[in-house]
Amino acid sequence: MDRSRDLTMSGNLQSTVTLTITERNGATRTRVVNMVSKTYGDTEKRMMKFLEPADVRGTAMLIIDNKESQDDMWIYLPALRRTRRIVSTEKGKSFMSSEFTNADMASGANSDFSITHMPGSGENGLWMIESVPVDDDIADEYGFSRKVTWLEKQGLKIKKIDFYNFDGGLFKTIEILGTKPKPGGGDGYIMTEMYATNHLNGRSSRVTFDKLNTSASIPDNTFIADNLSR
Amino acid sequence: MAGFIVKYKWWIISVSAALAVALGLLIPTVETDPEIRNFVPRSMSSRVSTDSIEKDFGVQDMILVLLTDSSVLTPENLGSIREIDRSFSRMEGLSTVNSLFTARKIEGRDGMMIVDPLIRRIPDNATKTDRLREDILSNQFALGISVSEDMTAAAVTGTVNPDVPEHLTLNRVDSIIAEQGDEKKILTGGLPYIRRHIVEDVNHDALFLIPVALVIMLLVLKLSLGDWKSVFMPFSVVVLTVVITMGLIPLIGWKFSILSLLVPIILISVSNNYGIYLVSRHKELKGSEVPPGRRELVRQLTGSLRMPILFSGLTTIAGLLGLLAHSIIPARQVGILAASGVAVALALSLLLIPSLIYLRERPGTRSRPPKDHSKDLLSRAIGALSELVIRRPGRVLLASAAITLAVSTGIAFLRIDTNQENYFPHKHPVRKASELINSKFGGSQTISVMISGDIKDPAVMKGIDDLTRHLKQQEGVGNVFSIADVVREMSKALYEPGEEGYDKIPDSSQAIAQMFELYNMSGNPDDWKQLMNFENTKAHLLVKLSKPENEIIRDLRDEIRNYTADFPAEITLGGYAIIMADFAQKIIEGQVSSLLFALLAVFILLSVIFRSARGGVIGSIPLAVSILIQFGVMGLANVAIDAATALLSSIMIGVGVDFTIQFLWRYNSELRKGMNHAAAIAMTYRTTGRSIVINGLSVMAGFSATFFSGFLSIRYFGYLVLLSIGSCLLCAIIIIPAFMLWFKPAFIEADLNRTIIKKDKNGKDVLSAVSTADSVTAGTHGTAARCQAADGQKP
Repeated sequence: MDRSRDLTMSGNLQSTVTLTITERNGATRTRVVNMVSKTYGDTEKRMMKFLEPADVRGTAMLIIDNKESQDDMWIYLPALRRTRRIVSTEKGKSFMSSEFTNADMASGANSDFSITHMPGSGENGLWMIESVPVDDDIADEYGFSRKVTWLEKQGLKIKKIDFYNFDGGLFKTIEILGTKPKPGGGDGYIMTEMYATNHLNGRSSRVTFDKLNTSASIPDNTFIADNLSR
Repeated sequence: MAGFIVKYKWWIISVSAALAVALGLLIPTVETDPEIRNFVPRSMSSRVSTDSIEKDFGVQDMILVLLTDSSVLTPENLGSIREIDRSFSRMEGLSTVNSLFTARKIEGRDGMMIVDPLIRRIPDNATKTDRLREDILSNQFALGISVSEDMTAAAVTGTVNPDVPEHLTLNRVDSIIAEQGDEKKILTGGLPYIRRHIVEDVNHDALFLIPVALVIMLLVLKLSLGDWKSVFMPFSVVVLTVVITMGLIPLIGWKFSILSLLVPIILISVSNNYGIYLVSRHKELKGSEVPPGRRELVRQLTGSLRMPILFSGLTTIAGLLGLLAHSIIPARQVGILAASGVAVALALSLLLIPSLIYLRERPGTRSRPPKDHSKDLLSRAIGALSELVIRRPGRVLLASAAITLAVSTGIAFLRIDTNQENYFPHKHPVRKASELINSKFGGSQTISVMISGDIKDPAVMKGIDDLTRHLKQQEGVGNVFSIADVVREMSKALYEPGEEGYDKIPDSSQAIAQMFELYNMSGNPDDWKQLMNFENTKAHLLVKLSKPENEIIRDLRDEIRNYTADFPAEITLGGYAIIMADFAQKIIEGQVSSLLFALLAVFILLSVIFRSARGGVIGSIPLAVSILIQFGVMGLANVAIDAATALLSSIMIGVGVDFTIQFLWRYNSELRKGMNHAAAIAMTYRTTGRSIVINGLSVMAGFSATFFSGFLSIRYFGYLVLLSIGSCLLCAIIIIPAFMLWFKPAFIEADLNRTIIKKDKNGKDVLSAVSTADSVTAGTHGTAARCQAADGQKP
């Protein structure tokens, strides 16, 4: 799992992210943001600026995703001309109101889980890996009792992840519908399309990464709160 | 008819038994419906509105777990709350959980907006506990919602997930609470628990009250008929009637409700009467000098008794069908079921009992003549009453009018109560939890206001904010929640105190939209899914009622309508409390229309029986007086009209009208024999008067089983039905004879030979023929039969 995680870690990334949330009744809500991210060891920094819808255009977020400590998040609201830092420790919290959590969008810390092969793992060219939070507090923080990850044996690419609630029921599935190899060869890849289904409330979310650029030079001072309003 | 019975006796017995077995087998499949909102039609406007609100914001039915102690902020109590919260959050049966541990604090500090759990760590010393108390006191998302202001009660609430069977959710909640050990400190409440208690108590009542009523009736039959052999036939009719009628409920596809409990009780109380009369008459015929043969016996029984029994049954059915005029669905069902049951009892009495008598009969045998009861206490009391009425009819009428008038002043204090929490006695866990919720957590019943429009429009958001603040000041409102509260709270985190935007609704829709986006990033969007829909096109304002009384609810409804008359978006008003307010209105309308229907039906029947419209009016006097007394006593005793007591009048009319018919019938018969008025009244007292009293007391004895109900409302019904049948009885034996003596009404005086006499197809005077054998007077509810059985006195 560590190797699989490393394959998805990317140094620099620029992309236009489209997030579409679909309610059970078919109603949809779409957010388009410009995202720039850069990885510094165990820390990932992301700057996101809203392009759509019109009434939130210009809203910007800076997220410092710390693997071992709480995340830092700043947000700028152009209509109020205010920048605020948001503190939260809950990794299980929804990402932009979608079925994805902040943890799903980050690379994640394998040390939070005890990881084992499921029975039948390795059949049909797929590993089935079960990850169980190491204690109740971590389980509450992530919001699930266990997850099962399907990995391609060849290339260790993630196919899908099933999440189980505390009653043992499957409540969410994330499918990786699109990937793109990282430039420069090797097995590294970037997820370009993910689809999450909530089996309990019937809601689904799709996130796509377009206009991917992994070779752009991103200056370190991009990730400062002062840049949010620019 | 006798020929038919003799020819098809085995068919009659077999079909009766088969019908009872077939329908009886269906009884265990009947389901109980505890949902009081199903009492009102789906088409009712408040129900339509509520359904539309729930379509967008989900069912608002919440489970409440309440922990009470001198302080809930101890490590032990907070530990219990955390465990319950954690277990609830992990349950599929609960969709949204709120407690001290899910409550967030939004605060602005050092340029940061911090959205954090209210309690991150359970305080382990006094200083930290004091800090937590201060945090709670300043947190509008926790104070009065998750913890009471005096910190003596904490609530963990969960909205039920309709996709999971409710009983499974409740069982799981119970086991979670049991794990916490000290159950004395923990109470459970909320509509799902009320529903469960209703199902449990209805099932318990059905299994307990029906046997109790049957035992009471068995004893009444034994007292009336003397020997167990005679008891068997009318008691069989009672059992078969109850089984067949209750089997109709699943057959039709209806569900059992609290009100359905009244159906078997009504039938047990009423359906034995026809059978008693037949059995008594049979004993009388068998005791005669020359007992008739089997076929002749059946012919005499059915020939002489058919009409009186039919009249009795029809008036009872007419009264019960008055319930069809109710808008309350189960009230209509009770009307149909009870009327059908009486029809079944009529049919069984007229067909099955003669068949059984025919088969049991040994030709040539003669029974002992009935005992003489003319000197017993009852007869002496009736004698004294008769003397008083005959001597002073005018004063009796005046005194009756004065008493009726005095008691009826109580009508001014009548109130309607549709709060189903009040079905339960004061010490019931449901009542205890409701009282705690109403006093410390803003109330368990809610009004919902749905606002449809562009919620991000500042004019709309400010309108919601104004309405929220306005409603918080109204009497009976415990708490109000709206999306405007969230926006205001966020503005407090984004601006510093003293800044222009602090604790205000922003002036631009972009600012509001960006605030929502901010919350999406920082908090859980599900935190306010009950307050605003996904598309931001509908908002939901939730008003909790600390005093869920109909008057307050109606005033609030009117206040909301007036206040939102010029609202810049569409307003939909609904919620459980509004449905209950409309339900109260329906009870009033139903009460009036069912009363009118029953009175009209009985008036028509009486007019036909007495062949005079005036006779119909005079015959209705005891009913009118009893109705005034019933409502007057309810007002004076502060017993509310509710779903159960609203059925009283129709049942009373159905059952009580017979006493008057019996009395007048016999009086007319005595006049036709040439007696003067006073002598005819005295004779009627001695014969039918005694029978009417015994009949009335036996019906009241049957209804007394309701005293043992688990529901306060059903118990009140029991007390009041005794009062109203008792007053019908007294009116029939006091007001009616006094009225006859004082006014000497023409309908009963003129052309005596015409009155109520019918010719059969052979031109024979049927009723005058039966009058010689006391049968005319016995018409309803087997009264004369009881008289015959009890005192053996002949007119």
